[in-house]
Amino acid sequence: MNDNHQNLVETMFPSDGSGIKPYEWMISPTRQRQWIDEKGIFLWLAFFFSEIGAGLYFMSLFYSFRPGIVIGWLITLILGGVIHMLYLGNPKRAWRMLMKPNTSELSRGIWIIGVFAVLGFLQMITPGGFNMVFNFIMGILCLLIISHGFATMNVVRALPAWSSTVVLPLSIISGIWVGHQLLQLLFALSGSATVVSGMEVWAATFFLIYILCIGLYAWGTWHMSDVAKISVKKMLEGDLKRITYVGVGVLAVLLPLIFTLIMWGGSTNGFLVFLRLASVLAGDLAIRYLIMKTAVYNPLI
Amino acid sequence: MPRWGMVIDVKRCIACWGCTIACKEEHFLPPGVFFNRVLIGETGKFPTSSKLIYPVLCNHCEDAACVEACPTGATYVREDGIVAIDDTKCVGCRACMVACPYQQRTYYDEKTKNREFFPGQGKTEMETIGEKLYPFKLGTVIKCNFCSERVDEGMKKGLTPGKDEDATPACVNICPVGARVFGDLDDPNSEINRLIMEKKGKQLRKEFGTEPAVYYID
Repeated sequence: MNDNHQNLVETMFPSDGSGIKPYEWMISPTRQRQWIDEKGIFLWLAFFFSEIGAGLYFMSLFYSFRPGIVIGWLITLILGGVIHMLYLGNPKRAWRMLMKPNTSELSRGIWIIGVFAVLGFLQMITPGGFNMVFNFIMGILCLLIISHGFATMNVVRALPAWSSTVVLPLSIISGIWVGHQLLQLLFALSGSATVVSGMEVWAATFFLIYILCIGLYAWGTWHMSDVAKISVKKMLEGDLKRITYVGVGVLAVLLPLIFTLIMWGGSTNGFLVFLRLASVLAGDLAIRYLIMKTAVYNPLI
Repeated sequence: MPRWGMVIDVKRCIACWGCTIACKEEHFLPPGVFFNRVLIGETGKFPTSSKLIYPVLCNHCEDAACVEACPTGATYVREDGIVAIDDTKCVGCRACMVACPYQQRTYYDEKTKNREFFPGQGKTEMETIGEKLYPFKLGTVIKCNFCSERVDEGMKKGLTPGKDEDATPACVNICPVGARVFGDLDDPNSEINRLIMEKKGKQLRKEFGTEPAVYYID
């Protein structure tokens, strides 16, 4: 086969699966590609950064910790926002995404992020900004931003693995859990050992709920439908199994469990808090990646 | 105002891919992009297996998932039921592609634009002309539009879509066995409605509640 012939074959049957494949295309369950493959990887990262930034902001409200809300605000808007823009085909038209809040989840998300940006800034610069009204409004906005990524996925009826009812609780608890871990590290860095120790009770609680939600998601998706079951199988078998076992099994569950047990009762240590945070961040990325990567459509015929 | 729809007789279809090719010619689609496909599957096991042939295209759903997902209003349902895309509004978020249960949308990016029918030999004259005559905008989503240019132009001339070729989608015109019928779903006396009623036309993946305008009969 000469080079030209090879090129022709690659053009007709590109590796991204977009070519003619009459015996395969939508005959069997077909994987979602747009929001995870190639440039779609930006969306995975954008959802992640929006979530952890809002999570940090949310937890900082309970401790009236200004550096926490500043960092959370910046992560959400700069990292989350910029990466969102990098994903878009026409980022200059991004303002148009404000146009359909009545139907589109994406549009609602942009509105929420816009309001969060303005009110968050006001809270940062206002002396006594940590009052009950401000905290309540910002808390609600943070929860909406945390769940925005998975909420956008959750409304896609065509992908059963995303329309699971556990997707939203999982998203919210993971944002709170990761945000809590970030805040605990910030307190550890600022030398507030007592606060770090006191936060450990909540760390154990959030971690337990997080593990429960991961388990419920896997169990619920497995029992939802045959196509949803394929998504879980894709996580456990084939190319993605390493990410599942190492990313979820070890980094999201096992290592944080070990660190939590070591620090049980509040005997915290800055280095262990850092290690647990690193592990939790990697684990959360892995979970998000798997959920986005393994979603499959029903075959058409 | 009519609501355009299509009936496809899967028993008549011989899987010649004429619709696929006619569509590519009509819209000057680059390599790897298809607004019309023919799905071929099998059911059962030998010796009782049977072959399934389903030509598929955008279903122009009445309650389209892509329209709901679109955050800018770039994807919308026209008064005549055709689901269209305004490429000046599309931000390229691909929410519509993810939402579509039928996977009938394509993202038009540099990679797609630069594909050549004869790789390494430059674009043919037809490809170059096509890019001028039927330009797609980079970073936007494209899909079947029921040949709305033909339908609109034909109607201006007083022609009837589904009956007069100049007002009828290219895939319907090309079909050598007459497996495709185009017409007005809102007209109780139309050929398309007669076929749906008599042969119990069914829609693909009706469970998503999208109410497709493409029906299949056998």
